[in-house]
Amino acid sequence: MALAVTIIIAVAICFLTTLFSYRYVRKTFDSIDQVLDSVLARNTELPFEAAADSRLSKLTHKAVKIIQMNTMDISQTKQEKEIIQSFISDMSHQMKTPISGVAMYTDLLLEGRITEAERQEFLSRIKTGTEKLQWMMDSLVKMSRLEVGAIELSPVPTGIKQTVSDSISTVYGAAAKKNISIQTAYFEDISLLHDRKWTSEAITNILENAIKYSPSNGEINLSVETLPIYTKISVTDYGIGIALDEWNSIFKRFYRGRNAKGVDGAGLGLYLASLIFQKQGGYILVNSKLGKYTTFSMFLQNCKK
Amino acid sequence: MSVLKTEALKKYYGKDPNTVKALDGVDLEIQEGEFVAIAGTSGSGKSTLLHMLGGLDTPTGGKVIVSGKDISGMTDEQLTIFRRRNVGFVFQNYNLVPILNVYENIVLPIELDGNAVDEGFVDNIIETLGLSEKKNNLPNNLSGGQQQRVAIARALATKPSILLADEPTGNLDSKTSQDVLGILKMTSTKFHQTMVMITHNEQIAQLADRVIRIEDGKIVAVEGR
Repeated sequence: MALAVTIIIAVAICFLTTLFSYRYVRKTFDSIDQVLDSVLARNTELPFEAAADSRLSKLTHKAVKIIQMNTMDISQTKQEKEIIQSFISDMSHQMKTPISGVAMYTDLLLEGRITEAERQEFLSRIKTGTEKLQWMMDSLVKMSRLEVGAIELSPVPTGIKQTVSDSISTVYGAAAKKNISIQTAYFEDISLLHDRKWTSEAITNILENAIKYSPSNGEINLSVETLPIYTKISVTDYGIGIALDEWNSIFKRFYRGRNAKGVDGAGLGLYLASLIFQKQGGYILVNSKLGKYTTFSMFLQNCKK
Repeated sequence: MSVLKTEALKKYYGKDPNTVKALDGVDLEIQEGEFVAIAGTSGSGKSTLLHMLGGLDTPTGGKVIVSGKDISGMTDEQLTIFRRRNVGFVFQNYNLVPILNVYENIVLPIELDGNAVDEGFVDNIIETLGLSEKKNNLPNNLSGGQQQRVAIARALATKPSILLADEPTGNLDSKTSQDVLGILKMTSTKFHQTMVMITHNEQIAQLADRVIRIEDGKIVAVEGR
């Protein structure tokens, strides 16, 4: 008798255990199903609490993250389209002035009622205008490709000394014209992960800026210093300087400093340089005292050991 | 999408007539993936603001909305879990656990959340931050810059969507500061994070996409890159 009761109770317990297990598993699967439904529908308003200490809440939290990643990819593509749009409108805006200059001089030449001296003057202005347009066009195409990732930089571990020398030789002529000497402090060559052609172009831009805004007969200092994670290339000029509230803006596309009136330029050099360094996991910092000096520090990552 | 938002955020300490208005009505919106610097003089309210954004403290008035969720009304327990899963912190004085080595310090938050450590990911972070050779060192065997890098690695290890840094270069010399700054910028881009950094150092602030200036608990200027 006792045996029979024990068996019945045992069976009952087994049955109840199975029933509750089954219901628990089913409930869990239903919850997971709901979470996955929300992921499919990209709905971040999940019916479960994402800030509790339960397994379901951890799952919910991860599902929300997946949805966010998805949404981010979509918005990134939209962003790239917008970048191209703004590029095109910036470009057309910037080119208006030189183009209308060229058009005006051409009209004057066609009208004919001008002296020979004036004719030469206008022709040379047209030439300068078209050269500027050509240069602008080249820079803008380069930049737009870089920014959207159409051109991939190919960073390889290679010595920085050659890259820096290439940049200095490119600007040597311009520096000589103003009788500016470029002093380079001695440094050990170090292998850095970088794309020589593009990095040299960026350093050239910084050097060109230094020359442009430096007084004649002055000097520009260049130094290279290795830090734990980055190597710093510094270019210092003793020219007009940059005001503190402009430090953030000078790297913007087409931005020209307040003190830059009267100096030729389109506001693209720093922007392009900063883009090139960023694409290589580096960056550029500026430090300046108005009327005293400006130092641009360019950082590139050291090769990993 | 704005990932961090405050509405008329207020934090007052004490009672009239000695109320200290650390934050006095701050409206702020930070987009996903942005690198924002909060600058201001000592006592301007910037640390308080950061603590609000990270759920380390509750506001006296107004709201803090993170990824669409209002965290101003959460309980302590909810906030702890929220922080563990969404936010990485980097402090001025590193705050590493002195009896754990570099590796253990980095994976501590992951293990606290009961998750398995993603070895590949953690190794990637350690390598990116140049700490591979120091994995078994204790914090007191590291330089300031190295300790801060460990703190950054720890903040990144849980793959948070938001990184909050309170004067991360405050205890470092200027060269190491520039080094660490570059790392913060690089990792936030690489790991698709939103970064909010407090600093009073103009050299550091210039690398941000936006610089928000605070004075006396209120935003006084916003400069953009």
